[in-house]
Amino acid sequence: MRFLEQKFDTVTCIKKVYSHENNYIMKLKMIIIVVFLLLFSAVNFAQDGKTLTGQVFGTNNSTIPGAVVKVLGTSKGVKTDFDGNYKIKVKTGDSLRFSFIGYIPQTIAYQGQQTLDINLVEKTLDEVIVVGYGTLKKSHNTGAISSLKGTDVTAIQSTRVDEALAGKLSGVLIQNQDPEPGAAPKIQIRAASSLSGDSGPLIIVDGYQISGDLATINSFDIESIEILKDAASAAIYGANGANGVILVTTKKGKPGKTEYSYNTYISIAQKYRDNILKSGPEWGTYSREQIAAGNWDVSELDPAFVDYRLSAYENSPGAISPEDWLFRTGISTNHNFNMRGGSENARYYGSVGYQNTEGVAITQAYERFNARLNLDLKLSEKLDAGLSFNGFVSKRDMLAHDMRDLLRAYGVHPIYHTEESIAYVKQLNSEAIGLGLPSFDEGYRGGVGPTSINDLQVGDPVDDWHYGRSNNGIGGSGDAGPAQKLDNAQRWQKTYFANLVAYLQYEITDGLTLKTILGGDLNNVEDYYYQGLAADSRARTDQTDLDLANRNATSILSTTTLNYNKLLGKHMVNAVIGAEVLNNHITGTSLTGTNVPYSEIINFNLLDPADIIVGETDATRARQSLFGRAQYAYDNRYLLSASVRRDGDSRFGSNKQFGVFPAMSAGWNMHNESFWKSKKISLVKLRFSVGTLGTSSFLNDYDAQSLLNPIATVYGTGFGISSNINNPDLTWQTNRETNYGIDVGFLKNRIRASVNYFVSDIENMLIGSTVSYTTVGQASIISNTGDMRSSGLEFEISGTVIQKKNFSWDINANISTVQTEITSLDNVEELPQIQYGQSGRGPVFRNYVGGEIGEMWGLETIGDVEMIYMEDPTRYTNNTSGESYVVDQNGDGVIDNEDFVKIGSATPDFYWGIGTSMTYKDFDLSMQWQGSYGAEVYNIDPLYYESQWSGLLKDSFDADDDGIADHNGKYYVANRNQTDHGIQSASYVALRNITLGYTINKDWMTKAGLSSLRIYVAATNLLYIMASDYTSYNPEGVETQTTGYLGPTTYGIQNGASPIVRSYTFGINVNF
Amino acid sequence: MKKVILLFGICLSIVACEKLEQVPKNIANSNSLTDFGGVLNAAYYYQLGSVTPLAIMGDFRADNALMIEEPYTSFDRFNNDLLDMEEQFFSPFYIAMYRSILSANTVIENTDDMSIVGEAKFLRALSYFKLVKVFGDVTINLTSSDINLNLTRQSASSVYNDVIIPDLEDAISFLDNSGISNGRASQLAAQSLLGKVHMQNRNFSRAETYLGDAISAASGAGISLQENFSDIFGSFNDLNSEVIFATQLSRSVPDEYGFTEFTGWYIGNDSKSFEPLDLDLVAAFDAAGDVVRKDLTVNESSKAGIKYISEDPDQDWIEIRLADIILLYAEALNENGTSATTVLPLLDDIRIRAGLAILDPAVLNTQELVRKAIADERRLELAFEGHRWFDLVRTQTVDAEMGESINEIYHLFPIPSTEVLASDGVITQNPGY
Repeated sequence: MRFLEQKFDTVTCIKKVYSHENNYIMKLKMIIIVVFLLLFSAVNFAQDGKTLTGQVFGTNNSTIPGAVVKVLGTSKGVKTDFDGNYKIKVKTGDSLRFSFIGYIPQTIAYQGQQTLDINLVEKTLDEVIVVGYGTLKKSHNTGAISSLKGTDVTAIQSTRVDEALAGKLSGVLIQNQDPEPGAAPKIQIRAASSLSGDSGPLIIVDGYQISGDLATINSFDIESIEILKDAASAAIYGANGANGVILVTTKKGKPGKTEYSYNTYISIAQKYRDNILKSGPEWGTYSREQIAAGNWDVSELDPAFVDYRLSAYENSPGAISPEDWLFRTGISTNHNFNMRGGSENARYYGSVGYQNTEGVAITQAYERFNARLNLDLKLSEKLDAGLSFNGFVSKRDMLAHDMRDLLRAYGVHPIYHTEESIAYVKQLNSEAIGLGLPSFDEGYRGGVGPTSINDLQVGDPVDDWHYGRSNNGIGGSGDAGPAQKLDNAQRWQKTYFANLVAYLQYEITDGLTLKTILGGDLNNVEDYYYQGLAADSRARTDQTDLDLANRNATSILSTTTLNYNKLLGKHMVNAVIGAEVLNNHITGTSLTGTNVPYSEIINFNLLDPADIIVGETDATRARQSLFGRAQYAYDNRYLLSASVRRDGDSRFGSNKQFGVFPAMSAGWNMHNESFWKSKKISLVKLRFSVGTLGTSSFLNDYDAQSLLNPIATVYGTGFGISSNINNPDLTWQTNRETNYGIDVGFLKNRIRASVNYFVSDIENMLIGSTVSYTTVGQASIISNTGDMRSSGLEFEISGTVIQKKNFSWDINANISTVQTEITSLDNVEELPQIQYGQSGRGPVFRNYVGGEIGEMWGLETIGDVEMIYMEDPTRYTNNTSGESYVVDQNGDGVIDNEDFVKIGSATPDFYWGIGTSMTYKDFDLSMQWQGSYGAEVYNIDPLYYESQWSGLLKDSFDADDDGIADHNGKYYVANRNQTDHGIQSASYVALRNITLGYTINKDWMTKAGLSSLRIYVAATNLLYIMASDYTSYNPEGVETQTTGYLGPTTYGIQNGASPIVRSYTFGINVNF
Repeated sequence: MKKVILLFGICLSIVACEKLEQVPKNIANSNSLTDFGGVLNAAYYYQLGSVTPLAIMGDFRADNALMIEEPYTSFDRFNNDLLDMEEQFFSPFYIAMYRSILSANTVIENTDDMSIVGEAKFLRALSYFKLVKVFGDVTINLTSSDINLNLTRQSASSVYNDVIIPDLEDAISFLDNSGISNGRASQLAAQSLLGKVHMQNRNFSRAETYLGDAISAASGAGISLQENFSDIFGSFNDLNSEVIFATQLSRSVPDEYGFTEFTGWYIGNDSKSFEPLDLDLVAAFDAAGDVVRKDLTVNESSKAGIKYISEDPDQDWIEIRLADIILLYAEALNENGTSATTVLPLLDDIRIRAGLAILDPAVLNTQELVRKAIADERRLELAFEGHRWFDLVRTQTVDAEMGESINEIYHLFPIPSTEVLASDGVITQNPGY
């Protein structure tokens, strides 16, 4: 029994750390413990004396199985059964102690009654949270830290951990910029900390800074996630903490019988929004309606021709809208198996997982295998050691051709020819000739396919010219058909990731611990891209590509810390000092091949060696750091913490490689004061913190040096223009942040709320300053220029609405705002304006003192030029006039840049999340809502499929060609110019997830060897409300990959964003 | 305890000894480089970025070729619509030229090897010459990188007098003709280019000197007219005896901005202009009775320019060939008042090769008639080689030849607006755009 007790205590310790588990997981664990104890339970019933019975209840009036009931001063003790019932022999006057992990123990003097029911209160206040290089009692926290449990993450069926965080935390914006399977969402903690690069947070897994992102972690392996938002919490990470820090703690083994768990689910997914684009037949019908209604004017056209064309649209056999071809139902499966157990001296946790996800666009897929092993060893009374391994192999199949371009294909034909479509093409051609129009075989018709419509074969990919051009048919585009583009291209990415970390921990004296972590990781990424001859409408061999790039990033990290932890009466002291060295080494080779032969088998051996350009990367970066932190708490009332870190980074200029980042914070637990009498308000804590952080995540290895780029030339290797200039003074930007916070709890903390307000000043901001090409041959160079201020308010509330024996209902909500303002740009008032988008389409991005980051500017439109003024509105499917009336803001009679106004901003006014979970008997239901309000995107896509041809208005519309419409005297310009026509609201409200589960934990399950079984159905994005003016598939989509994208200063363009996906899932969790 | 400390010590020391100084060994740094041949290669390479834009400006802006699809037809209109073409043509052209200049500057700043400096100076002069012809006044940079550069556009004449002419004079004295067979810059190329520069400036006496020097030095350098007109073009004929300087293209060397090759535009392989031939050119061939060159230059039925064989990405872009220099020399002599009896025989070889009768000085007996004859000859000889528009502007015959009154501000092309923005307006836009 003693042996058992001891084990139980160890479990208790671990459980204390994470007592906010979901109900059902909690139950499962209890069941496991109880099962484990059943073997020994006979001992407990062999007692003498009077028998007391009763039940032990916990939170939500649920019964607690496995609670310990002990008679103090004796060796007598029992555990409660499945339903929380206990039976114990006692004498009047005995002191009975009821305890359970995570609950405050209660001691009661026995007064001779027959039954005694007990309600235990959860130890929420003593929750321990993980902080940088240590842990902290939650009540002692003075910073702004958000926490999540692993079960919150696995409750969402997503391919990546970060996707599952959406809406769950205040001050943390998770945005589906690119929902392609396996692609990273944008994670932004509070405000952007940089104008130059994306502000992705630092990821620390079990104290180790991994070189990959959150995707390296299997969500089922996560015990908890902590997000350090304010400077004081993150300052211990110094130069890398400015974007916030995500601390991931993975599951560890625990002593006792090995527990096994198997989780699996299958999902089906489709894009959320449907039917944006009209197919040829739909366009034909629509055109006739518009003409009949008098909205379109075709009187200047030959009626026979109009009729020919409209019936051509209407009757085209197999015509399909490109969206109906490109998108499909994707099926995903996920399997995850883990086990944990061990003895007092050796504990282990291991898992293997597999997931296979099909994207909603054809060819998109993501497949991944992963494995983890965490070993913790107690080598002696004072020496602990551990080893953990995490690894995965994944493959992402990506859409190999620009989605925007595929969707702009005309829906006037099938994707592949059929007998009917070939006959139809020939019929159209002869009708055209009959009308005196040129035959389809005239004019340009390239590619590798047939050059005459008379040579078409069933199964040939359809090119637009097979259907004629705008003057003689309905085809129109000279491009290759969509099937040619996609079938002859391939793009994938394979990732091999392994991380091995070992630690040693030695307790020097009581409270003084020395710990060292040494580890390394390897992140190998292989990118493949192939574009064949047929994908180019003109079959140009130099437009073919065969690219293979291999990039190996390795890192070695060593962290040594000395921790001191002491409670002396009312004084609690906690200090840590440490040293850390991080070396990253990136090697890579790339093969970029062109003139790929047109053949069935594609490999590099077929290429002329001269057509393969070899690229090489060999870069090292090193960081050395010293840091320390001291925390002091007096009587759990007054809290004080200070930290400092000194970082050196090889990427900075030789004069300025080191930076020092101090921080301090203070807190006051007002409710612990003797004067605090309120019973209703159970918690009032005031918090204040201020600190300095740095950021350098977007900096390249040699940004401070002027290196010549190797290029291929006809004379051999050339040393091309450098991307940078020598800048020995290039250094840290510093981010000074102040946080004010208050936490309040009501009704024994059944309801908790917290508010944080922060102000952040960034100085010496690293900016890619745009320069004239005449100076250094580049568009921009990086330098420490400018200041920025951001501020924000975050509000979180959580509570238990209903707490009945069979029914409970929890709800939590959060809302966050953030504003940024550029406060200085050194000696200029504005960074150079940048027109960014696609081929001249897109707004002008402005970044000026007093403005936000990346404001979108352009002309204000006041309505579309009506279709009635189009020379030929039937000309292309889905077209519009492509022109809008605009305002001459300064009234100078000229429409130019002087008339630009702010037309949009990609920063939301606020974003929010609401989560709720209910349990009724064995059923559980949870929902996660999320939304964002006030952001805008500049949507490029409609500018292509609606209106890429401006200048197709009737001559009479503007007879004197002065840019003013003759009929109403208004100025007009093409939408593709810089106008607000492309601006659309990116606000949305999403039901990110809804899950309904049923848990079977009956006796017969135990007999079958299972401890529990849960089945569930779930849906992601069951409801996704988009703004009425938003016309594409994903309001969260923002382009960050095309050339010209410069980071936050040009953030807000949408260009062929992968759609928002709705999926339905069926899943099973088994524990045994 | 000792063992434990030792263990910790080892762990810490394994990684603590790395230096923070990171100087990559595998990447060239202009501060430590000793051989600047690679940088010179880059200066050659960046010329690639000028080829397609010059082809478009030279022929499509003029009366040799037409665009079909919006907004490309802005090349055929003389208003500010041309701004739409900035991203595809003017910006890449501008960037490529300054990159070539900066690479050449790095070479000139850092090496004492005069033959390399000579080539760099030739390329720098060539780049500035192209810039001035396209944009007029431009910013001058003679350093390898200068973040505090005076960005103000300098007048075209000071670009000529302070940069192009002195650079070419240096190139003439530093270079010999040994590189000509490899397609590298040579003394002959520098002489020819300097002659062209003076023609552009209408300094006909200096032009006569340099063009005359070039023609007399040609045969010594192995340069002579091809016997057949058809043997000048296409990758099989790259670096043939008539080519004084060409920007060499290769399918293995990607275009500086990955854009369509110039030949595709001429042939009509792009839907932007799938029938690019302007029938005005056909009429010009017909009027001259020029069958040989017409058949080798245009295809009337497909309405295409076929001088360069269908999209062969290896075909070089001929920058200077002997026939061009001979025609310019004749033009210079005529402008300088030399009699038709001396001037016209210079054209004989070119005309005979084209199957045409030689010109009769008795008929073409005035300076004006000779001027017109030479201009016509240039058009037919050099069609679809990117010369026509620039010749019209140079000889001040735009309106007469184009048959419309064109505001002179549209003789120049728009400065990339990104440059105006980047310089905060110090770099000004050309009037009219």
